[in-house]
Amino acid sequence: MKNRFSRRSLLKGMVGGTTVSLGLPLLNLFLNENASAYADGAPIPVRFGTYFWGLGLTDTPAGGSRWVPWKTGHGYEITPELQAIAPLKDKVSVFSGFRAIPDNSPNLVHWSGHASILSGTAPSATGRFEAPSFDTRIADALGGSTRFRSLNIDASVSRRPISYSTRSGSTFASPDVTPLELYQRLFGSGFQDPNSDNWSPDPSIMLRQSVLSAVTEQRKALMSSVGMEDQLILEQYFTSVRDMENQLAIQLQRPEPRESCIVPRAPEETERSASIDVVNNNTRVMARLLAMALACDQSRVFNFVHTGGTSETYIAGQSKIYHQITHDEPTDSRLGYQPESSRLAGLVMDGLGDFLKEMDAIKEGDGTLLDNCLIMAFSDTGYAKIHSIENIPIMLAGGAAGRHKAGQHIHEPGESVTRVSLSAMQMVGAPVGEFGTGSMRTARPVSDVMA
Amino acid sequence: MKLPRVFVLSIFFCFNVLMASSEGLAAANEETTSAEKGQFTLAVRRLTESQYRHTIDDIFGAGIEINARFEPEQREAGLLAVGSSKLSITASGFEQHVALATSIATQVLSEEKRATLMRCEPAAAEEFDATCARQFLSTYGELLFRRPLSEAEIESRLAIASAGARQTGDFYVGLQLALSSLLIAPEFLFRIERAEPDPVDSGSLRLDGYSKATRLSFFFWNTAPDRELLEVAGNGGLHTEQGLLAQIRRLSESPRMEAGVQAFLIDMMQIEGFENMVKDPAIYPKFNQLIADSAREQMVRTIMDLLVTRERDYRELFTSRETFINRPLAAVYQVPFASTEAWTAYTFPESSERVGIFSQIGFLALFSHPGTSSPTRRGIKIHEIFLCEPTPDPPADVDFSQVVDSTAGTVRGRLLDHMQNTGCTVCHQRSDPPGLALEHFDGLGQLRTMENGSLIDDSAELFGRTLQGAQGVAQFLYEDSRVPACLVRNLYAYGVARRPDAGEQTYFRSQVETFAENGYRVPGLFEQIAASPEFFKVVLPEGLKVRATALTDGVMAGPDQQ
Repeated sequence: MKNRFSRRSLLKGMVGGTTVSLGLPLLNLFLNENASAYADGAPIPVRFGTYFWGLGLTDTPAGGSRWVPWKTGHGYEITPELQAIAPLKDKVSVFSGFRAIPDNSPNLVHWSGHASILSGTAPSATGRFEAPSFDTRIADALGGSTRFRSLNIDASVSRRPISYSTRSGSTFASPDVTPLELYQRLFGSGFQDPNSDNWSPDPSIMLRQSVLSAVTEQRKALMSSVGMEDQLILEQYFTSVRDMENQLAIQLQRPEPRESCIVPRAPEETERSASIDVVNNNTRVMARLLAMALACDQSRVFNFVHTGGTSETYIAGQSKIYHQITHDEPTDSRLGYQPESSRLAGLVMDGLGDFLKEMDAIKEGDGTLLDNCLIMAFSDTGYAKIHSIENIPIMLAGGAAGRHKAGQHIHEPGESVTRVSLSAMQMVGAPVGEFGTGSMRTARPVSDVMA
Repeated sequence: MKLPRVFVLSIFFCFNVLMASSEGLAAANEETTSAEKGQFTLAVRRLTESQYRHTIDDIFGAGIEINARFEPEQREAGLLAVGSSKLSITASGFEQHVALATSIATQVLSEEKRATLMRCEPAAAEEFDATCARQFLSTYGELLFRRPLSEAEIESRLAIASAGARQTGDFYVGLQLALSSLLIAPEFLFRIERAEPDPVDSGSLRLDGYSKATRLSFFFWNTAPDRELLEVAGNGGLHTEQGLLAQIRRLSESPRMEAGVQAFLIDMMQIEGFENMVKDPAIYPKFNQLIADSAREQMVRTIMDLLVTRERDYRELFTSRETFINRPLAAVYQVPFASTEAWTAYTFPESSERVGIFSQIGFLALFSHPGTSSPTRRGIKIHEIFLCEPTPDPPADVDFSQVVDSTAGTVRGRLLDHMQNTGCTVCHQRSDPPGLALEHFDGLGQLRTMENGSLIDDSAELFGRTLQGAQGVAQFLYEDSRVPACLVRNLYAYGVARRPDAGEQTYFRSQVETFAENGYRVPGLFEQIAASPEFFKVVLPEGLKVRATALTDGVMAGPDQQ
C-alpha cells in the first residue's frame, strides 16, 4: 500500500475508506500537470458551469429512446436528438440511465429531477431544495479570486426569472434575463480590461469598502437570538456582503492580462417572446457574452438556464406550448414515438449546441475556452410525457483543463444522478468526498471519465 | 511590473487601517447583542419591492428615482407577504442594493434636496462636522431602521462619513456614504421583529414597541412607521389599549391607508407579472406591452374604486360590471371609447358576458398560456385566490396514454380525458369547472364562441352545481361562505406575515362574523383585525428556544447556545 496520498485518491475523495475533505489552501494540488497554459506560461484556470433545459429528451413507450446511443465509451453514435452536439461530440460525454431516487419523498413533477441532481436530496416541496445546489460549493472553491463568484443567466423569457442555484434552499439566485442586462453587469461599470496598459486603481472603491464595513460589524448583534430559518436568511445575506467586499478588493488589484479577452460591444435589445427561435437566439447572444466574461476572468462559475422545468417555449404560431405537447401528443403508432415532442426536443438541443459552439470559439492557450471548462448540461425529467425521473439526460462538456476524458457515452441504468454531480465537482477541484443523502448518497464518481 | 502593484496595495492597506478609526472600532466592540438585552428575534422578512419604494418615497419625499431590478419574490400560503419571511438577498441582489443605495444617497444629498431634507448645515462644506452628521444620521437612521439607532450604529456611520469627508474634501460626500451604509444594512432591508418579556404578564413574551409600530404601519400604509408612530412606540404607548386604538384610528383615517389596502389586494389577487407576460403575436396580434400594463391598471382601478372609494360589499367584486377602460383596452374588449381622458368609467351592459373581476383581460390573460387559454390554470387561481383552496401538484405517474390528439375540437375534450383518470380526477373535477365556464374568453381575454371550428360550451358542473359562463362563476363565488372567510384569513396572514396555524380557527370564525355584520367592507376589516390581540401574537420560530427563566430575567438561548 502506498504511504502517500496519490493525487488520484484525493480526487476521489477517499483515503483508506475515509472521506477526505480538502481545505482551500490545498487546491493547488489539483492543478493538473498537463493543464494548458497561457503563452506566458501562467496556468489557465478551470471553469465550471451548469446548463439547464426543460422537459428532458424523448423515450419511447416500448423502451427505446430518441437520444440514448447504442454504443458506450468513446466514439458513440449520434442519435436524432443529439444532432446538435455532433460537431463537438468528442468534447461531450453523455450519461444515460441515471435516475433521481426520491426514497420516501414524492416525485414532484418538473422539480424532483433537477433538485436531486443539484442538491443531492429529493425535495419535499416544489420551489425549495433541501440543501444548497452544488454549484455554490464549486463557486466557493473556484470563484474567490474573480469579480463575480458566479454568474446566473436565464435565457428563457419566462414569467419569472428562473434559477436553480441556491445556498439556503429557499432563496434562488436572481439571474440576468436579457442580453443587455447581462452585458451591463459584465462589461458595464466596474469592469476593468485586464489587457489595458493604463490601469490605475479607482480611489472611490476604498470609500465603497468602508460603506460595507459598518454592515459587517452588525453581524454578531443580529445573529444572537434568531430561529433556524432566520439564521439561514441572515447568513446568506452576509455571504452576499462578503462577495461584494471581495469584488471591491479585486478591483483594487491590477488584473492579470488575459490574452483571449476582447471586450465585446453591447448587444441589441432582443424580442420578448418565449418561442424557441427567440430563446435560442437569446442563448447564443448570452453565451457569447458569457464566454467572453470567462475569457476575461470575470468569473469562473456560471449557471445557465435555457428553458425552465415546465418549459413554456413553443414553435411560433403553434397554439400549444412544448410542455403541453409532451403530455398531450399521442405516440405515433408507426414511428413508435411522439414526433412533435421529439422535434421540439431537437430544437431545444440546438440551444445547447450553439451554446457549446460559442464556448469553443474562443482560443485559449493551446486549445479553446471549452477545453478549460466543465459544463454540466441536464434536464428536469427523462421522458417528459410521464414525468419520468429515470434516464434523465446529463452531459458533461469540455475538457475541465485536462481532467475530463471527454467524448464518451456512459450508460449505467438505475444509478443515482448524484454520481455525475460528484464527478463534476471533483473534476473541477471542489473539496468534496461524497454527495447526496438517502439512496442518492454517493462517494463513487464516474471514474471512467476522470483523468 | 510587479513592484508598483505591491506599492499601490500597501498604500491602500494603510488607508484602510486609518479609515477604521479607533472611535468606530471601540463603539462596535461595545455593541450588545439582542440576547444580552433580553430580546428575541421572531422573524426576518425581506422588504418587498413595493414596501421598499413606499418607504423611500415617504422618508425622502417623492421624486427620488428608484431604478433597480429587485429580486423575485415568492408566494407562500397564497401571499408574497408570507413568502417574504423565507427570502434572503443573493449576491447579485446585494449588488443591486449597493448601486441603488448609492443612487438614492446621491439624490438625497444633492444640492437641490439638501435644503429640504437636512435640518443643519456643517460649519464648513469641505470638512467633516460631527454634530450635523450625527443629527442627520440619527434622524434618518431611525426612520430607515424603524427604531432609534444604537450608539454603536451611529458611531460606525460617523466614522464612514468622517473618512469620506476627509478623503474627498466634501462633507456631503462623506454623509452620502454613511447614508448608503444605512440603506444596505440588514436592519433596513429586512423587517426584523423582536419580542421581549412582557412585564404585565410575567412568564410570557410580547412584541416590542417598535415591532408593533412596524407591523401596524406596513399593514395600514405599506410603508415604514412615521415619526409619530415611532414616538408612541418608544414611550410604550402601543402597549396600552388606549394608545394602540388611538394609533389604529389615526392610521385608518389617513389618506395613506389607500396605499395599504391596495398593496394587500394586489398581493392577494396576484396582480403581478404583467411586465413579463408573453403572448404569441402570431395568435394574439392585438397583444403588446401597453395592453398588459393597461390590463393591470384596469384591475387595480376597479378593485380600489369598488372596495375602497365606494366601500362596497367585498362580494360585489364578483358581480359588478362596473370598471374603467382606456383606448387600447377598448379595442380588445371591442367596446366604444368616447372619452377625451386617458381612462374612463365603463359599465358592461347586462347583456355582456363580462361580469366580475375574473372576466377582465388582466385575470384571463395572466392565467393562460402564450397561445391558448387555460381552464385549469384559471380554475386553480379562482380556488386559490378567492377560496383559499390551493390545488396540490399533479401526480407524477399520470398515464397519458388515453389522451388523444386535441388540435381539433375544444379544450374541454382534452380535460375530459383527465376526468376519466382516477389520479387526475380528484383535483381536476374541482379545479377545471370555473375555468371551463370562462372558456368564452381566449388566452388574451377576447370574447369568442368557437375554437378549432367547434362551438364552445361554457357550462360546467362543480359539486353538483352548474356554472354557466362568467355569470355562473359570479353567482357561485358571491354565495359561497368560504369567500369572505378566505379574505379574513388572507388579511390576517398578510398583516402578521406568517402562515396562520390550525389553532386560529376560532379566531377566524369570530372575525368573519364581525366582517359580515359590518357589511363585508374591506377597510373596516383592517381596523377590526389590527385591534384584535391576535394581531400582535408572539409565535416563536423553530430553533429559537427561550428558557423559562428568560421570561423573568431576560436571558435566552439561541440555536448557538444550546
